[in-house]
Amino acid sequence: MAFRLIGWREYLFPAPSTIGRSFVDMLSLSPAFGGRPMLWAPLVSLVRLIVGFAISMAVGGLLGLAMWRFAALDRFLGPLFLGFQTLPSVCWVPLGILLFGINERGILFVLVMGSAFAVAIALRDGLSVIPPLYQRAGLMLGARGWRMYRYVLLPASMPALAGSLRQGFSFAWRSLMGAELLFHAVRWHGLGFLLQAGRDYSDVAQVVAVMIVMIGIGMAADRFGFARLQERVQARFGLV
Amino acid sequence: MSSTPSVSVTATPSPAGLTGVGVYDVINGSRAKAADNVPRGRLTMSGVCKSFRGSPTAVLDNVALEMHPGEFVVVVGPSGCGKTTLLNIAAGMARPDRGHVALDGRPIEGPGPDRAMVFQDHALFPWLNVSQNISFGLRMAGFSRAERDEHVEVALRMVHLQGSARKLPHELSGGMKQRVAIARALVMNPSLLLMDEPFAALDAQTRTLMHEQLQELWLQTRKSILFVTHSVGEAVRLADRIIVLSAHPGRIRREIRVDLAHPRRFDSPDISELARQVRKEIEDEVNRVNAQATVDFWKPEPPADMGGPAGLLGDGI
Repeated sequence: MAFRLIGWREYLFPAPSTIGRSFVDMLSLSPAFGGRPMLWAPLVSLVRLIVGFAISMAVGGLLGLAMWRFAALDRFLGPLFLGFQTLPSVCWVPLGILLFGINERGILFVLVMGSAFAVAIALRDGLSVIPPLYQRAGLMLGARGWRMYRYVLLPASMPALAGSLRQGFSFAWRSLMGAELLFHAVRWHGLGFLLQAGRDYSDVAQVVAVMIVMIGIGMAADRFGFARLQERVQARFGLV
Repeated sequence: MSSTPSVSVTATPSPAGLTGVGVYDVINGSRAKAADNVPRGRLTMSGVCKSFRGSPTAVLDNVALEMHPGEFVVVVGPSGCGKTTLLNIAAGMARPDRGHVALDGRPIEGPGPDRAMVFQDHALFPWLNVSQNISFGLRMAGFSRAERDEHVEVALRMVHLQGSARKLPHELSGGMKQRVAIARALVMNPSLLLMDEPFAALDAQTRTLMHEQLQELWLQTRKSILFVTHSVGEAVRLADRIIVLSAHPGRIRREIRVDLAHPRRFDSPDISELARQVRKEIEDEVNRVNAQATVDFWKPEPPADMGGPAGLLGDGI
């Protein structure tokens, strides 16, 4: 209603009803999309996200652990990683294309580069706020070597880690969307491709609809995944 | 576990059977049956020196201490006298610069479950519930779940916390937390129990209650206990022997043997008289330290506009 009263032109800013139609289109089979419903796109994006975020956690986790363990490494890498974080993740796209070509590995490269350093920094910070008392208590009770990491340091860093996972995830999601937007000539089409396609065909309704889906997935993962994890950890530790 | 059928924990579930926790020797992680008739817990320290970088005087200077198995030794002294450092050295958390430290003839080279420590801030793991906290050390030593459960149950009964097994540390009161910490230490069947001002953060009533319970536990288990505190009342109530440390450098200033029968009441005349003596000893030491520190003690100048006699106050209104 408000939309019709203001009288925006349909091709510049779509009516909610047009966006709704665009959603319906996404659910139906699309010949332009290899005969699959465009609903396929978010699934492609999610698979990439899960794979990429897992790599990111592994790489970032190891780096963060090493930085926490070896102060010299931290002095060298810490400022560097903080510097990397000021770089928007799409800036890794040209390097990804040159190193890996326009393919899945290129996309994963951008995703990992966009989020691994955030995970590393967050894990290092999480470990460094663990009260030394827990380590002493662990040693006293015979937690040596890997047991110290597995049974004392990892659980003790959970409150910080849950927050950093949450942040790392949103970094990863943003990087992925940026990467898909630019890597649109790959075999599997993700949400970023749909966004770009909407632009190419001047289909404002589709652009807005895809953006809503992107935000929706990000919010859902945060609200029902990571925020819940964080709340549970905090409740367990008695921090709330 | 079939090789050790005489698990007296299950055989004697009464609180009096708590010495039976000690059927396993968890030092070095071995499950060999410990010879219960050989008393354990002889701590020997000789010529222990320790100084920290940037400090001119030694924290500990040539400290020698010999603890007999089953003895309750309390170390008191002014703050900064190296009480906690002494305890950390016994625990293996800190290494002496010089000197020899051994437990039952074995040199102490690092922290281990044979010297369990109760920290001032309880140091319970907040992500584990009460029984998980207590069984943590057994888990690290490779005990099976069934064995752990048995030991934990006995330990819970020992500190009167059967009803709180599933609670998380943040749901407990300060006294309860400290009791869990004691149970967590005792369940390891240590040769020596180290306690670092364990009741300092508790309110007076709880502390008195904890003293009673600790004496009770000690009489039952007859562990050697090295206990650090700044409270003289606590020292005379609990100790077989009180060691008064001096500060800067930390030396043993005096040893006081307490030959009063356990359990003791904190308000008995003997205890009061002894407390007076020890307190005097510590006060002298504190005064000595303060005298050193106050050689050029700065005093603020009285402000010029408040120099008049008190009788003039309010005249200007």
